[in-house]
Amino acid sequence: MRIIGTPELTAFRDQCRTWLGENAPAKPWPMDGEALRDFDLAWQRRQYEGGWAGVSWPKDYGGLGLSLLEQLVWHEEYARAGAPQSRSMFVALSHAGPTLIVQGSEAQKQRHLLPILKGEENWCQGFSEPGAGSDLSNLKTRAEIDGESLIVNGTKIWTTYGHLARWQELLVRTDPEAPRHKGISWVICDMRSPGIEVRPIVTMSGIAHFAQVFYDNVRIPLSNVVGGLHNGWKVAMTTLGFERGTGTIAHQYELARTVDELITMARDLPSSDGRGRAIDDGTTATDLATLRAEVMALRSLAAMTISRGLRQAVPGAEGNIAALYYAELTRRVHAAALDLLGPRGLERTGGHDWPLAFLESFKWGIGGGTSEIRRNTIGERVLGLPKGPSAR
Amino acid sequence: MIVDLLPSEEQQLIDDSVRALLAERLPVERLRETASHGGAAERAAWGDFVALGLFGIGIAEADGGHGLGAAEEALVARALGRHLVSLSVLAQMAAPHLATDDALRTRLISGETRATFATVVDQGTAQRIDGDNADWLILLGEGVALVDVPAEAAPIACLDETVSLARLDGSFPAFERADSADRISLLLAAYLSGIAQATLDMAVAYAATREQFGQPIGAFQAIKHMCADMAVRGAAAEAQVLHAAVAFGAGLDDRAEVACARLLATDAALRNANANIQIHGAMGFTAECDAHLYLKRARLVSVLGSSRQAEQERLLAGVA
Repeated sequence: MRIIGTPELTAFRDQCRTWLGENAPAKPWPMDGEALRDFDLAWQRRQYEGGWAGVSWPKDYGGLGLSLLEQLVWHEEYARAGAPQSRSMFVALSHAGPTLIVQGSEAQKQRHLLPILKGEENWCQGFSEPGAGSDLSNLKTRAEIDGESLIVNGTKIWTTYGHLARWQELLVRTDPEAPRHKGISWVICDMRSPGIEVRPIVTMSGIAHFAQVFYDNVRIPLSNVVGGLHNGWKVAMTTLGFERGTGTIAHQYELARTVDELITMARDLPSSDGRGRAIDDGTTATDLATLRAEVMALRSLAAMTISRGLRQAVPGAEGNIAALYYAELTRRVHAAALDLLGPRGLERTGGHDWPLAFLESFKWGIGGGTSEIRRNTIGERVLGLPKGPSAR
Repeated sequence: MIVDLLPSEEQQLIDDSVRALLAERLPVERLRETASHGGAAERAAWGDFVALGLFGIGIAEADGGHGLGAAEEALVARALGRHLVSLSVLAQMAAPHLATDDALRTRLISGETRATFATVVDQGTAQRIDGDNADWLILLGEGVALVDVPAEAAPIACLDETVSLARLDGSFPAFERADSADRISLLLAAYLSGIAQATLDMAVAYAATREQFGQPIGAFQAIKHMCADMAVRGAAAEAQVLHAAVAFGAGLDDRAEVACARLLATDAALRNANANIQIHGAMGFTAECDAHLYLKRARLVSVLGSSRQAEQERLLAGVA
């Protein structure tokens, strides 16, 4: 228990801060469609050209190979600068790329890693299916071996930015006879392949965040299988353990900034009875103070995740605690914003689109594991409670 | 700023030795016997606390202490909370920080002179907690002060029957809030985070073994999710307490950090204590099950020199 600081880290922090201060794009950013994708790629390219791409990636593959402490400093400064989140580059940078680094063949790494860092190509994830969401290992998309190819048939859904991605990390069932976790393969899928149809899905926020992808006899070279045929579940699971607390720093800063902004607004806005300021209302003050306490605790939970990451390479299920906390908190923060704004909260104008942020806040308790699944995981894998009927 | 919230080897050693002592001398079951109430069991173990150096742990070596910091104090306070140790022990740890003369400080660290907490009810009334042989009082209000014990104290029955509560009449002026008040609030927050953790452990142990409908009740999501929420609240409170303790005195926003720790630890202790009773079902409502002891202690600590409103004001004031 201590504050970690060395002169070297401080000097490194100054470098990060200077570069980000001069280069991070200012808001507003495109929020949807190809404009969003092009913006994300351009920002990635800028980081590459500035010598800041791939902070956690090995030098052999074009990354910076920074120590975990340096990565943390970079992510803190990135968040402090309010630099854009990776969005349509997220899967490539934080999931597919790291998976290839660990599990990919040399040829796969040479082909794919540098174009990611240079902002030339992005990726999406083809894991969930209409019948396999929380119960992912129930996936049904088939891939039959035909000579040197796999022939894929089936459908994937909730593929974030699937309509904007160049490549996909795709989980398919290559051995239908094997037990459900055993007959799966992790393959690199070219989203321009014949037989792929992508239908964007518009969410409750009005944005086409994700897509359903249909595969009709899509031919994928066998050489695109990563980590061995039928070994895809293990390949997918190794990457899920990559999160050592760096990826959530930006979200946590953003939420803290939002709460500070709400408190400042409450000092300026009139109260609902018009007799004072909104902050003078006891309920409003309670809500905002509680939210501020909780965003501070979120930061402390993240620090705990990071502290564990500094000691062990593969983090345990405890990371679900911070993820669940964030998912619930972000919804409350944005609901409080609308409470505070009253009728003004209906208006989608101005610098901060509060209605959009409110609607978007619902995704965190659903995507990447619902809050209920996270509670099961905390109960069973952190606390050691017996498994329920569904998980047997 | 990168903060390591896990204990160093030395800090782990301190935590382990305090826990070992408490497990041996002050198991929570002791409170089933009235003879242990009011800090009596702690007075019997006083020499062990002194031998461990507990009362001077966060005092500078030049002042006769061990030269450790708020972080180590918080670890000890958390362990005390897990065992529902008399708050007089926490007060004895806090008192040397408030002593202005060297002789008094030395006697407090050596345990010869005893201090206890009293919480200010109004300008003319205070409540003394577990102070049957206290020489000094730490008055807890908006600010704190170390004062002589008034002559008159009227025993009064307390919500927490394991505590000896006494009503004091006198003059209790408001003291301005200073760092010492935040330091004590941090200790109390750490104590509460210990209660949140202990109630979680107790609930999980019961849910994993108590069977109904042919399986442990912890296999049912209604119970499992309650336990998961207890774990989340406990983890958030603990992480914030440790963060505030590490940051304390490092030129950061101590007041808001401590207010945050206190608010969340109070909330976690109370809600986890409630949930623990509920998970124990009818057994949880009985006197023989220890679950009620945590709830009562959490209620008591929640009002010591603190109110939700005061913590909220400190939190909001921290936003520029």
